[in-house]
Amino acid sequence: MPTYLARRLGQSLLTVFLTLTTVFLLVRLAPGDPAAAYAPPSASSADLARIRAEFGLDDPLFTQYGIFLRDLFTGNLGTSYSFHAPAFDVVMDRMPYTVTLAVAALAVTTLVAVPLGVWMARRADTKRELGANVMTIAGQSMPDFWTGVMLLTVFAVLFPVLPASGFTTWSGLVLPTLTVAVLQLALVSRLVRREMVSALTSPYVTVARSRGVSEHALTWRYALGNSAVPLVTALGTRFAALLNGVVVVEVVFGWPGVGSLVVRALETRDYPLIQATVLVTATLAILVQLLVDLAYPLLDPRVRLGKAA
Amino acid sequence: MTQRTTVGQDDQPLLDVTDLQIELVTAGGVVRAVDGVSFTVRHGETVTLIGESGSGKSTTAMGVLRLLPEGLAVLSGSVRIAGRDVLADPDAARAVRGRTVSLIPQDPMTALSPVHTVGRQLGDAIRLRHPELTRAQVRDKGVELLGRVRITKPETRWKAYPHQFSGGMLQRILIAIALAGEPDLLVADEPTSALDATVQAGVLDLLMELQERTGIGMLMITHDLGVARLVSDRIHVMKDGRFVESGPAEQIVARPAAPYTRDLLAAVPRLGAWDEDEPLVEGAAS
Amino acid sequence: MSSTAIETERPSAVTPRDLARATATRTRRSAQVKLWAGAVCTALVVVPVALANVLPLPGANAQDLSRRRLPPLSEGHLLGTDQLGRDLLSRILHGGQVSLTVGVLAVLVSGLIGIAAGAAAGFFGGWIDALVSRFLEAQLALPLLMMLLLVVALFGPSVTVITCVIAVAQWPEVARLTRSLVLVEREKPYVAAARVLGLRAWQVLLRHVIPNVVRPASLVVLLLLAQAVLLESALSFLGAGPQRPFATWGRIISDGQAYITTSWWLVTLPGLVIALLVVGVNLLGDGLRDRTRRRKGAGA
Repeated sequence: MPTYLARRLGQSLLTVFLTLTTVFLLVRLAPGDPAAAYAPPSASSADLARIRAEFGLDDPLFTQYGIFLRDLFTGNLGTSYSFHAPAFDVVMDRMPYTVTLAVAALAVTTLVAVPLGVWMARRADTKRELGANVMTIAGQSMPDFWTGVMLLTVFAVLFPVLPASGFTTWSGLVLPTLTVAVLQLALVSRLVRREMVSALTSPYVTVARSRGVSEHALTWRYALGNSAVPLVTALGTRFAALLNGVVVVEVVFGWPGVGSLVVRALETRDYPLIQATVLVTATLAILVQLLVDLAYPLLDPRVRLGKAA
Repeated sequence: MTQRTTVGQDDQPLLDVTDLQIELVTAGGVVRAVDGVSFTVRHGETVTLIGESGSGKSTTAMGVLRLLPEGLAVLSGSVRIAGRDVLADPDAARAVRGRTVSLIPQDPMTALSPVHTVGRQLGDAIRLRHPELTRAQVRDKGVELLGRVRITKPETRWKAYPHQFSGGMLQRILIAIALAGEPDLLVADEPTSALDATVQAGVLDLLMELQERTGIGMLMITHDLGVARLVSDRIHVMKDGRFVESGPAEQIVARPAAPYTRDLLAAVPRLGAWDEDEPLVEGAAS
Repeated sequence: MSSTAIETERPSAVTPRDLARATATRTRRSAQVKLWAGAVCTALVVVPVALANVLPLPGANAQDLSRRRLPPLSEGHLLGTDQLGRDLLSRILHGGQVSLTVGVLAVLVSGLIGIAAGAAAGFFGGWIDALVSRFLEAQLALPLLMMLLLVVALFGPSVTVITCVIAVAQWPEVARLTRSLVLVEREKPYVAAARVLGLRAWQVLLRHVIPNVVRPASLVVLLLLAQAVLLESALSFLGAGPQRPFATWGRIISDGQAYITTSWWLVTLPGLVIALLVVGVNLLGDGLRDRTRRRKGAGA
């Protein structure tokens, strides 16, 4: 157990470090002068030189990297050009909205996808299941921004029962959550189906059936219990992918989270802000992944107790 | 042991299989795995189906219990367990499983759910038969069962997981789980083929002792003539889904009539020199 | 055998109903339905897109401000016109050429990277494997879309950059699959035989192992293409797609979003086209996978 924890923690730190370094290199290697982006268009070449000196842009790459890392540890991710405020603070202001949306979508996904996947596994390849199967394929094939716009049109424009955008009341959460959930639901229910089909045909289920265990218990206790590890792994990994969906959906619904922030920063070429957003969300995703991995031992006694025979 | 619930008259077979035919609908077409076999198992008797892999012996055993996937196997003929036709009535099959008949599976390493404790799975089996018992009573009974299959310090093993046991111990636990339903009939599907030679002897020994004590009927599936010779009252030699020869164990081994049986016997070279005093399993450990 | 003399052929008890309900039949039917539906959906989009230059259509960028936002089925404009009076069908088809080209290129690039990295990791093991595996895991744990937006923002939204960005997003899938296939292939006798014959490790890998894994690995190509089209449209929608004059699908939708209340077709129809194509490709991929799995099952 302790070695598992230590190794897993080390891996997460390494991933964070890799991400930081990649982002640093990307920003520094990109064509164009960051100083020019920061300065007003009227700036003279002397102004640009002054800005370069101020931000240490003339230093060797290695020195810049050292400064970059040092700043990170003090929580300094630079100053946003457009907000004229520390980029980290701007991102953290928006973070709760994004997390709310992500958690709501993940909850809806889990609540619907698991029963749906179990049902599909038990009815595998019947006509009705084939229909459901094709529906899930359709669900994973629709561009999420388009799904969002469609839902918006139907439920906020044609039949105005839900607010179209922003986050003023909790009902504003419904459409964005649904939009993010459609794609995840399709993917996760297909995964549940696959895991359950293989679990239901495994020897321990047949043997349990031979001693009179009910089909209900076979499905929900034996098969699902054994599918839990791959499922939770998938849900943990999906969290990162889910954040992708959240970015797009936030833009569609004008949701005040980091997704719409990063797209706005993109339009204004606010590099420190983009960089801060990427770093913060990446760290969040890695943290979630770490928590999920730490939950394994609770689900799988083979991890908890070691493989000793 | 007065666990036996008397089923019909004593002359009624526990298991009565008539013209059982099992066809498997595969992607490559319909395969006839079992082609019209008939046999019976009575109280206190062990009947063995022996054959090479692919002969249809395990399919017969699983078919008798109706454990073959519904979408794969088409069964016809008749299978009566304690008088109830389980082929005609799927509910009857569900009703007898875990009560009248239990299965001892082929590979003990994969036969228990790896994420549930042994106690939980054994407890489930006990509770199915005796829903009135309290948790503590279930546990007491389970520990007693584990002791009966010679698990040492059974009370400390209740909360252990399958991966913490060896194959031989798991097979004993599976026997305990099979016994939890207090069955009249045990179907043992190659119960020792996944185990080491030394462990095999212990498990077979345990099964025979249990049979002596409780008068349980047993359908044994094996590819190993050494095992068959040791435990059986009657032997059916199976090939390509049919019985090529049937008869009392002594007769089959001593005077095999069918050429296939002679081939099987020849494939176990030490069997000819078999001696009453030697440990049996040595000949089988190939 | 002596028993043949008394052998009376027992009638089969398998009824047509049993056959129809059998898992094997159902799996085959599912695979067939998926393959056919997939082929039809894909063809419905790909064929017109491929023929966009031949079909008698108004130019994709020909504006006619007097005929703005005409609804579908208007005269001369099957799918209507957009806010500048451009023919929507023509825009969708020409935009599709860009979207599909980017998708195909991205899949090719990610396939090359993925097979090379995955094969090296699986075949040589050791530190190469550790490195590749760490990268795979790291990338899986990241919200990639933001990284991609950053890259496009920094390096400019050219077709090359966007192709590379999508390829980078996708190579892990290929690499993971190739790695697991090579791990199996590596243990086969012919690899040992080739080594005994004196071939170097990389020669064995290149000449013998990779040709054997390319076919199974190529099954994921269809699924990757579907994802690439989706990713490209998402980037375009967020303003990080190929710049004008390319009217990619995502851009058409994002341009039309402002008119959603008055001109529903501007967003609905291009989205439907994307969905139709991706559904088709996904169904094809799913059906093909089911079919190979069944073949394997039948062979065993």
